[in-house]
Amino acid sequence: MAQNSSDETLALLTRLSQKPGVQSTLILSRDTGAIVRTSGLISKSTTANPNSTLPASSEPTAEAFPNGKKEGGIHNAEDVAGMVWAFISAAGSLVEGLDEEDEVKLLRLRTKKNELVIVPDPKFILVVVHDTPPA
Amino acid sequence: MDSTLQQRRDEILAKKAKLAELKQARAIRKEQAAARQSLTGSPSEILQPTPKRGGLDQGHDIDAIISGIYENSRPGSTQPGSPAGGRTTRPTSVISAGQLSSDNESGTGTYRAPLGMVDQGMQTLSIAPLSTVFEYEGQPVEAPPPRKEEVITYSKGVQASIDWSPPRDRGVGGSDSERDESPTRSPRSKRLSRRQKERDEEIRLQLKKEIEEELKAADKAAEAGEVPTTSKENFPFKTLTDEELTAVESSDVFIDFVERSTKVLERALDQQLDYDILADYAHENSNVDEEDEGYGSSGAKKGRRIKEIAQFWDDRWSKKRMISDLGFSPKFPELVLASYTKNPSAPHDPDGLIQVWNLHMHDRPEYIFHAQSDILTAKFSPFHPNIIIGGAYSGQVLLWDTRAKSAPVQKTPLTGSGHTHPVYSIDIVGTQNANNIISASTDGVVCGWTVDMLSQPQEFLELTSPPPSKTDDIAVTSIAFPQSDPTYFLAGTEEGSIYPCHRYDRAGAKAGVDGRVKYAGHGGHAAPVMSLDFHPAKGQIDLGDLVLSSSVDWSVKLWKVRPPAATGPSNTAAPLGQQVEPILDIAREDLVYDARWSPVRPSVFGLVDGAGSLEIWDLNVDVEVPVQKTTPSENKKGAFENMGGRIYMNRSLNKLSWEKNEGRRVAVGGMDGVVTVFEVGGDLGGVETKGDEWSGVKKLVSKLEGAGEGVNGN
Repeated sequence: MAQNSSDETLALLTRLSQKPGVQSTLILSRDTGAIVRTSGLISKSTTANPNSTLPASSEPTAEAFPNGKKEGGIHNAEDVAGMVWAFISAAGSLVEGLDEEDEVKLLRLRTKKNELVIVPDPKFILVVVHDTPPA
Repeated sequence: MDSTLQQRRDEILAKKAKLAELKQARAIRKEQAAARQSLTGSPSEILQPTPKRGGLDQGHDIDAIISGIYENSRPGSTQPGSPAGGRTTRPTSVISAGQLSSDNESGTGTYRAPLGMVDQGMQTLSIAPLSTVFEYEGQPVEAPPPRKEEVITYSKGVQASIDWSPPRDRGVGGSDSERDESPTRSPRSKRLSRRQKERDEEIRLQLKKEIEEELKAADKAAEAGEVPTTSKENFPFKTLTDEELTAVESSDVFIDFVERSTKVLERALDQQLDYDILADYAHENSNVDEEDEGYGSSGAKKGRRIKEIAQFWDDRWSKKRMISDLGFSPKFPELVLASYTKNPSAPHDPDGLIQVWNLHMHDRPEYIFHAQSDILTAKFSPFHPNIIIGGAYSGQVLLWDTRAKSAPVQKTPLTGSGHTHPVYSIDIVGTQNANNIISASTDGVVCGWTVDMLSQPQEFLELTSPPPSKTDDIAVTSIAFPQSDPTYFLAGTEEGSIYPCHRYDRAGAKAGVDGRVKYAGHGGHAAPVMSLDFHPAKGQIDLGDLVLSSSVDWSVKLWKVRPPAATGPSNTAAPLGQQVEPILDIAREDLVYDARWSPVRPSVFGLVDGAGSLEIWDLNVDVEVPVQKTTPSENKKGAFENMGGRIYMNRSLNKLSWEKNEGRRVAVGGMDGVVTVFEVGGDLGGVETKGDEWSGVKKLVSKLEGAGEGVNGN
């Protein structure tokens, strides 16, 4: 089935990363914490695998969020990964604290500047940072 | 009394437990010390030869190391999931020492050399970290809850030696605040262990403390389980090699995950575009919705407006295909399916395609289904929310399941037992517990199937033209079942006549075309009938005998069908081939491809034509002009985007479908492969209907009948 090929999968992600307003995407492996795919993020470590990056949103990022530019514009993928990891852990413990049998399905974190949408899964984590609609 | 006794007993118990622990600890400590000595022996020996640092000032080093221990150990316990903590939980000092000294530049090695020694020295000096050690070790043996916490504490002690590598900038920043705590605490426990191990009070104090920590840690219960394991390798800085990357990406789990998670995200992003839940109306006056439904402006009242709400088109799949059928899911009103013909320029893609679109996900279909042959008609099963049935050009009847992959889960074989001609019309009739798929092909064959078995038709009926006609052949283009009777249906043909048919033999009529009546005549259709639709009739007055037909002869006709069971003398006496005229003939300005009753409003129906217009009619308002007429916008460029002229070709709309539960939404689609969904106003859709709407239609029908036949219809 064509649907199952890894090209199709890649195309899905690429499309997602190119949706209007999307600043960056990030896929982490839950087992190892390794970064599987990113877009719109720079990688600090020189050993980062260049194959794991996707074409970013076509919008000029500098214009898209000038306020982020101060701290180096685009965030460092590793930093984001670490912070997201901590956030998910915290959310997980909160949910578990409320109900042992419950689990986190979706995290939407709205900030003044943008929104993070996080889909945690037993194996992987998908994170998308996108602009909030002009309000 | 009781309470004091209880208290005492508790104390004794606690003491006993503590004693056991201590004993155990001592044993373990001995073991460990020995083990460590032997283990650390080799690396430190190897490392020692680098005297650069060791010679300078060992005392300083020791200080640094000790502070380092506290500094590094804290983050390990408090934020085990954090990246900095990742390294710290390495199981033994030896491994990491060896690793680091071998991987890293010699500078690190010099740090490490004294470390190994200091580590050993520390063991002799302080029992405190070791007292935590034993508790950790005790864990495997029926550990009481507080030990959990100690697992982490222990790992600091070990890590201290490991983590000696140049501290990461992040780690230092993060641990600053916590540094104050640990030195105060560990020394105390040091003192404790040194001075009076036997004194229960102190021990209890410590236990209490541990319990407190445990309580704190309870919040982190979620991590506690997995973090010790994950944090070991869970190191977000870790980068994957090419091979690992491809391995991960080609794994089914990953593909599955991406499939699911991107869907969720697209919905999330699309939902956001519709409405910003954080909108603050007090602060932004510019954002107030400018409703374009001014009072009576442009003749369209608010209740009769029609608004485009979504368009669906997929670059990959919709290209160069035409829409052959549309249908809303009866269970999930936001899902609409569209079937497509083949893409002539992509011979490697499957010919047949069904995409299920979600009104909340604009850019991508929720499901994609394939078939070997063009799909000409498809619909959701009203009785199984997951099942989609379809008819193909090859004559096959296919069945897909939204829980399965994109290939059909069942299909009829390509043999003579079923259809051998294209299936343009399909339906599921019956009840929840007893229903059949009925399909009709252009050679006049009508088959009945059960959903469970498509290998053999349950019913096989060949329709033939009744006697007066010159040939037997009858080319069925569409069939329609009345709401009330699954054994009787109408068949529209290519020549324009509409025949009543029976599925089974019954009194006065054999199975097949009922030759007594024919809905044709000079008022009938003069060209192929494109659609037939019985009135849904869910109101106070039964209007189930009203049928709407559309044809490429540029007209829509309204018929009142004779009850099928009418076998009275007047009917049997009637000559064969009696022709019934339509009660209303609505001439349009183009080919009419589809006309459908509103599922909730008795007087409302919609039609689509070859000029690309969607028209909404309300018979109670007007029988000559539609109340609304609109065309899909051209935001989504369909198959003909590059073709300059032939505008009519581009825009032609083939199919129309109402959302069945509320009747608020209409989906239309056509030659360009774009599905457009409109929402109609409260006068044209919505479940609450007024009684006079029904009686209005009834009156209208009586009037029309009287006018048309000169006989008083009842």
